[in-house]
Amino acid sequence: MDFQALFQQFLHGGVAEQASIFDSVSIFLPELVLSCTIVLMLVARLISLDRLIPTHWFAIFGGMTSFILVLQQFWKLSMNEAVATKIFTGLAVHDEFSIFFRGFLAFFLVFVVALTVLTGIPDDEDAPDFYSLLIGAVIGMMLMASANHLLMLFIGIEMASVPSYALTGFLKGRRQSSEAALKFVVYGAGSAGVMLFGISLLAGLLGTAEFSELALRFDAVFTGRSGMQDPTVRYVVLALLMIAVGFAFKLSLVPFHFWCPDAFHGAPAEVGGFLSIGSKAAAFALLVRLTMSLGGYGSGVHGTNTLNSLSLSCGLGLGILAIATTTFGNLAAYSQQNIKRMLAYSTIAHAGYMLMAVSALLVLQSVQSDAPFQLAHPEGAPRAMEGLLYYLSVYLFMNLGAFSIVALIRNQTFSEEIDDYRGVAQQAPILAICMAICMFSLVGIPPLGGFYGKAFIFASVYEATNVHWFMWLVLGAGGLNTVISLFYYLRVAKTMCIDLRPAGAAEISMPASSSPALYVMLVAGMVVFLGIVINPLSVVARNAAHAFF
Amino acid sequence: MSETTGKILMLLLTAAWLLPLAGFVVEIYWLRLSHRLHKGAAYCAVGCIGLGFLCSLSALLFWGYQNNWSALTESDHHAHAVAGTAAHASGSDQQSAVKHEEDDDDDEDDGDDDENEGGHTEHAHAHADDADHAHDPHADHAHAAPVRKYATGTYYELARFSGLRVSLDWYIDSLTLVMFVMVTFIATCIHLFAIGYMKDELTEEYEDHEVHLHGGGHFSRPGRFHRFFAYLSLFCFSMLGLVLAGNIFQVFIFWELVGLSSYLLIGFYIERKSASTAANKAFIMNRVGDFGFLIGMMILWTSFGTFQFGDRGEGAHAEAGLFTMVRGHDGKLDVSEDGKQVYLRNAEGERAEKNGVPLTISYVLLVAAGLGVFAGSIGKSAQFPLQTWLPDAMEGPTPVSALVHSATMVAAGVYLAARFYPVFTPEVLLGIAYIGCITLFIAATIAVVVTDIKRVLAYSTISQLGYMMLAIGVSGWGAALFHLVTHAFFKSLMFLCSGSVIAGCHHVQDMNRMGGLRHKMKITAYTMLIGVIAIAGLAIPGTSIGLSGFYSKDAIVASAMAYSELNPGHFLLFITPLVTAGITSFYMFRLWFLTFAGAPRDAEVYEHCHENPRIMTTPLIVLAVLAAGCAWGGEGGPLYRLIVDSETVPAVNRVISVGSSHVTLPSHQGHESDVHHVHATAGILALVSALIGMAMAYLLYVKKAVDPHQIRMQFSSVYDFLVDKWRFDALYEVMFVAPVHVISAWCVDFDRRVLDTILHGAAKVTVIAAKWDRFFDETFVDGVVNLVGNVTYTVGNSLKVVQTGRLRQYVMWIAVGVIALFGALFSAIPK
Repeated sequence: MDFQALFQQFLHGGVAEQASIFDSVSIFLPELVLSCTIVLMLVARLISLDRLIPTHWFAIFGGMTSFILVLQQFWKLSMNEAVATKIFTGLAVHDEFSIFFRGFLAFFLVFVVALTVLTGIPDDEDAPDFYSLLIGAVIGMMLMASANHLLMLFIGIEMASVPSYALTGFLKGRRQSSEAALKFVVYGAGSAGVMLFGISLLAGLLGTAEFSELALRFDAVFTGRSGMQDPTVRYVVLALLMIAVGFAFKLSLVPFHFWCPDAFHGAPAEVGGFLSIGSKAAAFALLVRLTMSLGGYGSGVHGTNTLNSLSLSCGLGLGILAIATTTFGNLAAYSQQNIKRMLAYSTIAHAGYMLMAVSALLVLQSVQSDAPFQLAHPEGAPRAMEGLLYYLSVYLFMNLGAFSIVALIRNQTFSEEIDDYRGVAQQAPILAICMAICMFSLVGIPPLGGFYGKAFIFASVYEATNVHWFMWLVLGAGGLNTVISLFYYLRVAKTMCIDLRPAGAAEISMPASSSPALYVMLVAGMVVFLGIVINPLSVVARNAAHAFF
Repeated sequence: MSETTGKILMLLLTAAWLLPLAGFVVEIYWLRLSHRLHKGAAYCAVGCIGLGFLCSLSALLFWGYQNNWSALTESDHHAHAVAGTAAHASGSDQQSAVKHEEDDDDDEDDGDDDENEGGHTEHAHAHADDADHAHDPHADHAHAAPVRKYATGTYYELARFSGLRVSLDWYIDSLTLVMFVMVTFIATCIHLFAIGYMKDELTEEYEDHEVHLHGGGHFSRPGRFHRFFAYLSLFCFSMLGLVLAGNIFQVFIFWELVGLSSYLLIGFYIERKSASTAANKAFIMNRVGDFGFLIGMMILWTSFGTFQFGDRGEGAHAEAGLFTMVRGHDGKLDVSEDGKQVYLRNAEGERAEKNGVPLTISYVLLVAAGLGVFAGSIGKSAQFPLQTWLPDAMEGPTPVSALVHSATMVAAGVYLAARFYPVFTPEVLLGIAYIGCITLFIAATIAVVVTDIKRVLAYSTISQLGYMMLAIGVSGWGAALFHLVTHAFFKSLMFLCSGSVIAGCHHVQDMNRMGGLRHKMKITAYTMLIGVIAIAGLAIPGTSIGLSGFYSKDAIVASAMAYSELNPGHFLLFITPLVTAGITSFYMFRLWFLTFAGAPRDAEVYEHCHENPRIMTTPLIVLAVLAAGCAWGGEGGPLYRLIVDSETVPAVNRVISVGSSHVTLPSHQGHESDVHHVHATAGILALVSALIGMAMAYLLYVKKAVDPHQIRMQFSSVYDFLVDKWRFDALYEVMFVAPVHVISAWCVDFDRRVLDTILHGAAKVTVIAAKWDRFFDETFVDGVVNLVGNVTYTVGNSLKVVQTGRLRQYVMWIAVGVIALFGALFSAIPK
């Protein structure tokens, strides 16, 4: 093939299921818009345009445009019932699942920017830096959501992580903040190194780095081999484990969670909220895509013994991690005095719950038979994924609500200790009520959104018990953890709503018509809404899940 | 009716229907918008109902324009429904001629005689062919679906329980249109009148002279002007909704809303004990009737599986409504050979089948359903034996009485009976006829001795409603609704007149204290006279020119006469209304003479009495014009023709019942009809009767030829009986109230002695158990919970130790974690 032909193929896409470069760019438009926003913001500062138009307007506008573009893609895809297309010669993939997450992230970006505007965390001088970092991280997360290649996986994770380090240390003057950022960076670098090693091992063993070919190669290499005596098996296990460490770092799974409480403690609450939701969602998207690819999705091979046992092993391994993570997160959250630290542990615990969904998904996936799309539990695996997506969506609102209330109270009392929250209800009932709603939803009490998220996940875990007994343990751990998480969540609600405000405590005022109050009510209202009107979102989530089935 | 026409009519009528609701919402929150002394609420109410009238009227005009007023010109409105229409078509041209013209009648009587007899026995005539006849082997069911005379559709489907749709529907035919125009028009007049009548309420301190406080003073409260109009608007909304309703369930909903509004309005002076009792009585009496209504609805649901009146959809997807299911398109009841089952029809008019088995309803059940629905009408239209609430309802303000008695509440009962006419079997109709007959006589006799001006009118209403029911019962469908409309006009007129008298005389209602008022209240007196003449059914002898009541009552008496000719056993159904026509004339003229004629009997009342402002008299004049002229042309006139355009099939043809009662319903259509045949005779008899009544009233109360007191003394027992309203209240007291009191006393006793003892015992046991439970809870359960809490807290606390905050340790943990996990996997994965 001469150069001319190669170039033509590059431009117009000669390979089946692969979009041409033009189509790829048009699909990539939301990310491009965000990139342009960054450039615009920086240029605006150079020419002092930011004196005229506050920088956050750029950020909000960019985020909205990006979200609308994703929505348009969603609409187009659901209209045409198009199948997934690979873009950029297979580096990334474009399907309902990636659209869901890209939309999720763009939507979330708008909310976070709005929050930072309301709490005023970056001052005018720093705003372009702050928003560049924020948007840069979101672009990285969006890449994670559509990555289809081990390299893209690494690039996406790093692109999401590096701005996060800077964001964590954004309050430059504060020692705690800088220390947190430093810990985050070093820890992140360590885990990235391990993951990169894992990636190179895997790519070396299988001879490809494209997700959709992994399963095929895997099947070819491992048919007939079994047991840890075989060195190839050992290497692969090690490689997967090392890649898992990278994910575990991003998802703050035990025992790779150490950075999380310290980073959240040091970082501003807004950044904490951003990290706890955005990077988790992106990491879950990537994890699901990688594990599904290993299980045979998109490769043309289905349900061979090798792949099934691989799925099962992955699922059970993640199940163990999920149990450890939820239990550890919940127990450690008990005795925290600082609310951001407590929320950090709560984030760890919730990552555990969501990991249960992935675990159930893989376990259910592992009984896939030879015939394509024939599952022993045909609806089980999609439902597990639907549960994960629903949980993430509710989690967006309930965690964002909690973090934004923390930020708003910090702005008035300059304290983030739970003890200083006593009796907030008497002075700012809206904050107290919305916080209570978020807390109840985090526990998973009906009729709030968190309940249905949990219910979906536990239902799929229950379904997975038919496949492997171990899932009973996962289910039991999930249930038990929900009960013990009551204590520390409700402590916050009780402190805010029932305790009396001690004399001399700083005044908090939050009139119902002020825009921060409206913001908080909107977010908390969405938590309630998603607990009452379940269908629309669950239908969207199911559609996104059907990208794989 | 074409679909577009139906849609446009629907929009117009819906506007007319919903406007009062909007008015209600505004008026009930009036105090938030404005202050108590502002008349805006009234203007709002008038505006809403007035606009509603304009909408209704334009709907009627539009409808007429769309079919070139064919209802008025084309006599054979039932051609679609009748199998052998030739006989009708031939006579159709002369049909438009005024029927009761005696000369014409004489000519045709000769020709009709033999046909009548022939039809009686051999069913040779076309009419007889149409008769419900179970044994007729040639019964032809396969009629093509005719052009619908109505339009129907759904606003909103509330729910669907397997087969049953519960929806908000609309159903529009000429009857709906006429009712809409009538109701909105009369309501507008009454609203206007009420602005003047209720002006006392425009105050912050309304002193109610009828309510005596213990301290000796009167009760006073803030005025409730806006609330009165809010209730009026709600009332109109409910009534219009009832008329527009497209299914029986919806009718029921608005039926209850009408009941509720009347409850609110009758009890408007809620502080008066009499008013609140009367409101309760009206409400509870109506519930008795509604009980029957509910049973009827349940039967309909179980047997038919639909509440819909009309057919829905076109062609193959058409869904048959109740009327088609019972009557098909040919108007026949398709009764099985043993007479015990009635076959249901589908939308094409053929026997409906489900899985090859024809759908049927037991004949007895159909009768029961009809009686049940009619029981609702009995309650609402104050028929015997539930008539006693209506006179008490006079406790409400007079405009309310006018509204209740003419256009809304009581009309609803008659309207329902008429709307449901196709579902009634001849047996049910016989029952209806007798109920109406009894009612009209009882009420008329009581009216003779009552001295309260409003109560006379109340009893006359009951009596007139009896006439309408009787007419429905003797298959005079058109006559009944004709009378409903004319009665609405003259009765609202008379009530407003009496209201004008009461307002003019400062709330004196006793006729014994009036007299000679015509000198002071000219407009009221003479408009009232028009009403009196109208209700008495007077006409100029020999010319057949009379006021509206003459035509409508004439039509009813003619139907009754035709019926009793065909069914000689039921001659009372003719004699009673005839005699009562005289009594009606007597007591109405008695009312007028006592109030307006002669010398003043109470100087003080006469002294202070005055004519009312224009806002009250203008409605009187307008209504008087209509009361006089609305029935212009009689049964050839526009009003009657409009109504009978939606006349149902069985009202047209002669029908011979198949049940045990063997009644024959007279035919109504064309010159050969049974009713037409007797029309002239009936008219003369009714007129004579009315004239006699008037003459007697004149002799007794103007000429004083005989002193009424003397008669009263002579027949004191009869008089007392009548003054006690036939002792119905006493009878009900003994029959229902007293037993209930006894039973409730027993229940109280049982409650106190048995149930309370058990309860107290149970409470004690519970307290003891609870004490033990508390002990257990505090020591064991709480102990365990606290233990768990402490343990988890300690564990959680100890986990803090891991989080040292030392970066070196953290990074080491990565390596340790990887190695540990790898080790774990290495040992866990099977070799």
